[in-house]
Amino acid sequence: MSRDRPLELTVNDQPVESAAPEERILLDFLREDLELVGTKRGCDLGTCGCCTVWVDGRPTLSCLTLAHLVKGRSVTTIEGLAPPTRLTALQRAFVEHGATQCGFCTPGFIMTASALLRDHPHPSRPQILRVIGGNLCRCTGYTKIIEAIEAVAREST
Amino acid sequence: MHLDPFELHQPATVDEALCIYRDHAGDADYLAGGTDLLPNYKMHLNLRRHLIALGGIPELGGIALGRLGSMTRLADLEGSGPVAGAYPGVAEAVAEVATPLVRASGTVGGNLMLETRCFFFNQSRFWRASLGYCLKAEGAVCHVVPQKEKCYATFSGDLAPALAVLDAEVEVATDRGRTRIPLIDLYDLRGDGIRRHTLPPSAIVVAVHLPPIARQRLGTYRKLRIRPAFDFPELGVAVAVRFEGSSVAELRVAVGGLETAPRRFDELTDPLAGQQLTEERIRELAGAITRSVRPVYNTFLPPDYRRRMTGVFVRRALVDLAPASSAAA
Repeated sequence: MSRDRPLELTVNDQPVESAAPEERILLDFLREDLELVGTKRGCDLGTCGCCTVWVDGRPTLSCLTLAHLVKGRSVTTIEGLAPPTRLTALQRAFVEHGATQCGFCTPGFIMTASALLRDHPHPSRPQILRVIGGNLCRCTGYTKIIEAIEAVAREST
Repeated sequence: MHLDPFELHQPATVDEALCIYRDHAGDADYLAGGTDLLPNYKMHLNLRRHLIALGGIPELGGIALGRLGSMTRLADLEGSGPVAGAYPGVAEAVAEVATPLVRASGTVGGNLMLETRCFFFNQSRFWRASLGYCLKAEGAVCHVVPQKEKCYATFSGDLAPALAVLDAEVEVATDRGRTRIPLIDLYDLRGDGIRRHTLPPSAIVVAVHLPPIARQRLGTYRKLRIRPAFDFPELGVAVAVRFEGSSVAELRVAVGGLETAPRRFDELTDPLAGQQLTEERIRELAGAITRSVRPVYNTFLPPDYRRRMTGVFVRRALVDLAPASSAAA
């Protein structure tokens, strides 16, 4: 017996018409049903921030969000920030500053920090530290990540 | 982790939600922000087959001076300048809940109704099975204080103590209508510890109401934890005080993160009304509160350390809030 229920939403500015069981988690819906595997499954319990996406522009833990509760809303994943062969300024800064090592946490950091820079183009260092408090990185020690975010903040007008 | 199947209900009104709960009593949970319930479901902790999402009920939203809708996102409360400015202790507490990402989804009502926590409870089913489960979920014995009557899981919400010291009330919807009760009465140390609140299982917290006098109180919230982000409180101390001249008009102290329920110490603070808050009185009060709390070893830090830090935090908070003339060293 299929328990799937229709699910329509917008993902990366594209309308999506799909169906999913009522207990489907947004992270699983994105990765397994839509094959948008840029969004990572880290702790799966809300601690690490690897699964961060935007729901209506707001950074949200996709591992703790039921897919059916974002019905009709707009979800943005790491794939939706720039066209496939392009990088955003922040993504480029992550590359240039070596802020990506194993890379697993990177999509989450980019989604969190991109929303910060969109809303506050010139954040202070304490503000940056506070906002990325929900994203864990086990490689970089955070310094390079913070420097990459600050570099973009400096360059923006 | 995929969740076990459940039916997701999305009522548009409180009455509809109560009705759905009644139809599935014993096999339903309300879902607010999901940042506590869904991790517990992923751990197979006390699963239900019906989830009633409260996010689509307009009445549960709204944030204003004096009224916080229960579905107010913690991030929205944190970002609400006038409200946060009027209740500084609440602003401090909400800013210390988990992480910005959790606060983007987590709600005021969810934080008040947070499931209690314990080393032996917040574990995978595999882990718990190896010990024969525990009193709070599927088992018959508590592993923290071995016996079969009382669960010692710790109440770990940050907002409850911060709101309790402002004499907040909660508006509650039940099958028998609406009631308003003091927020502190949501919790009872004398319970079995398994149920985390005193309300009937079907009840819905509609809103938190703050009396006008709350705006005249100075307040602060101190949280003990290992990391400055994410961690639940190992201890949370909330203090609110109103002075008339250099004397105390009202003083309230509440703690969380120590026992199965948050506690307010009116019996110790009421006698201080009309008195100067001298260093000696602060020390006596901090000592009396320290002697009265009974944490157990079911969080990261040892209970004796958490107990002694209770007095330290109470003393520091009161020294900071007292007028310079009365608590001067």
